[in-house]
Amino acid sequence: MTSTEAKTWFGQSIEGCLDSLYGLAMRLTRNAADAEDLVSESVTKAWSAIGTLEDRNRFRPWIFRILHNCYISDYRKKSVRPVAYSYDDYAEEGEEDDITSLLIKQSADFLSWWGNPEREFANKLLGKDILAAMEKLPEAFRVAVVLVNVEGLSYDEAAEVLGVPPGTIRSRMKRGRTLLQKALWEHAVDSGLISDNEMKGSKP
Amino acid sequence: MKEGKDKIEEIDCMEAINGLYAYLDGEMADPGTLAKFEHHLEHCHSCYSRTQLETALGQLIKKSAKDTAPEKLQTRLKKLIQGL
Repeated sequence: MTSTEAKTWFGQSIEGCLDSLYGLAMRLTRNAADAEDLVSESVTKAWSAIGTLEDRNRFRPWIFRILHNCYISDYRKKSVRPVAYSYDDYAEEGEEDDITSLLIKQSADFLSWWGNPEREFANKLLGKDILAAMEKLPEAFRVAVVLVNVEGLSYDEAAEVLGVPPGTIRSRMKRGRTLLQKALWEHAVDSGLISDNEMKGSKP
Repeated sequence: MKEGKDKIEEIDCMEAINGLYAYLDGEMADPGTLAKFEHHLEHCHSCYSRTQLETALGQLIKKSAKDTAPEKLQTRLKKLIQGL
């Protein structure tokens, strides 16, 4: 492959995953201008490192990893917006039982709310509320949810992007989703989507 | 067929919930584990409902967090790649 062909292929590959790259950058920087700069910088770095791409079928995890690394080295420090939740980013290893217990405890109230007759109304509000709840997640969980749930990467691919074992992705997906549900429940209570009767005096 | 289904080992709700996300994320690779999980869903209304909720929530997350790159970024990148 000539360098012109390689560049054409690279350009097409970028174009093919540009929305995903921008989406990941948005979830990381939480700012459109920074997200655009981050994507541009990542594309430049990716072209410089094109020789490290061993399997072209794995272009997506490869460039996601470059973007994530670029964010950590150049953008994270600039972030001035504090994380609104105090969940511990690193309380994730060896806590499978705790997470499962929380999932079960949280289930009943959330399930009851989700299945109520006002669900359609709640559904209309949830799109933007989910984005707000995602913004509140600690970064490690937010990125895992984006890579797996939004971008459809396997645990192995997400692990490759973040440079962690696949088991860590599995754990982060559980905790990330659990925290998202907790945030959505709290929003539903605060905004009156859940009546006093439905709350039954309990919270997840 | 019926005979085969009868041989599926029962799992409890705790085990089912523990495997729920692996199931939803397509990470339940072992056919035996998958069969046990799906068998449990066929018989447990609570876990079935929970799976429905998580599926709907997952779809909503996917839909909500999908972005479209702005046109100016697309133009910027085309120029950038041409100049590489």
